[in-house]
Amino acid sequence: MSEPSDLERYPTLTEHGRRMLQRLREHPCAPMFRNESGNRLTPDDVATVRAFEREVAEAEVPEQREESAAWLTEFLQRVYREVPFYRALGGAPRRLSDVPTISRGDLGHDVARFVPDSAPVARLINFRTSGTTGHPLLIASHPLVAASYLAFHRRALARFGVTLRARRGEVGVALLGYQRKCFTYVSVTPTLDEAGLVKLNLYPDDWREPEDRRKYLEELAPEVLAGDPISFVELLKLRAELRPRALLSTSMALLPALRRALEGAFHCPVVDLYSLNEAGPVAAFDPACGGHVLLQHRMLVEILDVRGKALPNGERGEVTLTGGFNFCLPLVRYRTGDFVARSIRRRVRTRGARGTRSGALPHAGRRVAEQHRGDSRLGPVRAAPVPAPATRGRLARAACRRPRLTRIRAACGIASAVWG
Amino acid sequence: MDREGCELSHLMRRISETPPDFLDEPRLGEQGTVAVSAVVGDLCRWHGADPGSAALAAFAMGTPKSDRNRLRVSLLLSWVLADGWFRTADLRAAPLFPLLSQGASELSEHGSVEKLITDPERREELARFCLARLGFRPQGESRAQAEDRLTSLSAAERARVLRASRAAEERARAVREALARKAAEESADKYTRE
Repeated sequence: MSEPSDLERYPTLTEHGRRMLQRLREHPCAPMFRNESGNRLTPDDVATVRAFEREVAEAEVPEQREESAAWLTEFLQRVYREVPFYRALGGAPRRLSDVPTISRGDLGHDVARFVPDSAPVARLINFRTSGTTGHPLLIASHPLVAASYLAFHRRALARFGVTLRARRGEVGVALLGYQRKCFTYVSVTPTLDEAGLVKLNLYPDDWREPEDRRKYLEELAPEVLAGDPISFVELLKLRAELRPRALLSTSMALLPALRRALEGAFHCPVVDLYSLNEAGPVAAFDPACGGHVLLQHRMLVEILDVRGKALPNGERGEVTLTGGFNFCLPLVRYRTGDFVARSIRRRVRTRGARGTRSGALPHAGRRVAEQHRGDSRLGPVRAAPVPAPATRGRLARAACRRPRLTRIRAACGIASAVWG
Repeated sequence: MDREGCELSHLMRRISETPPDFLDEPRLGEQGTVAVSAVVGDLCRWHGADPGSAALAAFAMGTPKSDRNRLRVSLLLSWVLADGWFRTADLRAAPLFPLLSQGASELSEHGSVEKLITDPERREELARFCLARLGFRPQGESRAQAEDRLTSLSAAERARVLRASRAAEERARAVREALARKAAEESADKYTRE
């Protein structure tokens, strides 16, 4: 099969975008880019993504009860009609609790059974995770789904008073990895007027000179830095003069000490996202709340025991997801492997947001909270306060040294993917 | 089969009482007496749907050798579907026309109209077939019971299940191949990576 062309990778590319790609690739300090990728968004897609961003910005996350999810009945009927795995089970049950739960193993056995008939095969893409066992899992997705992540990032950033402003000629985001081998590429984001997007590996082998990492980042001056705690520890070592408007942390728990170090170094909010390849950004940690708050308005989060019974607030159980925005892989009672307890607080004012908000309750060493904003409720997910390392150099090692690493991976939605 | 339909015995009785007019020869060219397209058109409009003259033309085309049985099944189905229960069930959004055309074609491949009326099992098959294709299950039965019984009775339904199974497998293969393509592995931009 032939390599995709630039027209396929960037269907809406203009001269401005082309110049941005050239700048990112050909800067004297640029690293070796090992891969090619692109937004793959058609003009219609761009309009769809913008409309979705408006929808997400205006939507309220409802209370996490089946009765409050107005979209759920139609969603279940569609899934039972269009998804082979569920179609084989017969008619859609009236209650979500009557649906059997699934887990990563079910997807891994044959993910094609979970792809709806309506998903366009010609435009399918995949994201690959290796999971706790190291067995790779392909997640069916679509360029629209990938581009829609930004809507939830915007929502999370809005909680911290940050509005993205990067435009043509600027770099919107630098995604950072720190692995011996890492998926790296350059792109532009059509919904941000072709602001640049660069995926970098801070591992020195990808650069002519280790010092180029700092120079390149300073030259790009990205509006947002995204990465995992490992790459952020390496970023701190560079001592780069950067003024991003926010840092987005994914893939593993962000320890409080590292958060403080990053905030101190870059003078901006550091947003810890609970995000899974299977579901996208699910929740964001808000320190003022003491827990993670839910981001998706068409997702229902249950906390289940081993038998699939919903647990009351305060009891620790497995995060189980229904719904979401990946129309190529609609999830129904998907057990994430992440264990938390949930608590609910009401009527506490949020920072810069209308309505009310809660604080958090610690439960067996984990903190979660569910929030209400006005008549909506934002729920928490995962959180694992662990002993904080005292120094920067120990942070990454500490993250890997914690007990039950595999469960922590799950609790944090780590994908330890080839993408890094 | 998400909705509960009428009693099966009610439809089976109606089938056994099919008037002789509905067993007359369908008109094809100069042969036959019953204009099936007119009967089907009337029935659809009675149920609040208008298939249009172009779609109805399929009920007036063909040869006696290849299309006679199909059109006779369409006539029989028209009689069954003119039952008052179907009127009260509101079939405006149901796949009524596909049942009268494609459904009749499938049934006609596995037996004669006379057999569908006189043989008790074929009569039950026809009653269940009508309900199932319109999204109903017989009164008092679960979906699983209704599906099992129809599949065991109906060669047409077994053939449909087999076709659906093949189509599903073909689709799954296409999805697997699409996901395995290098182009898919190159993926698309996300603002964060997990």
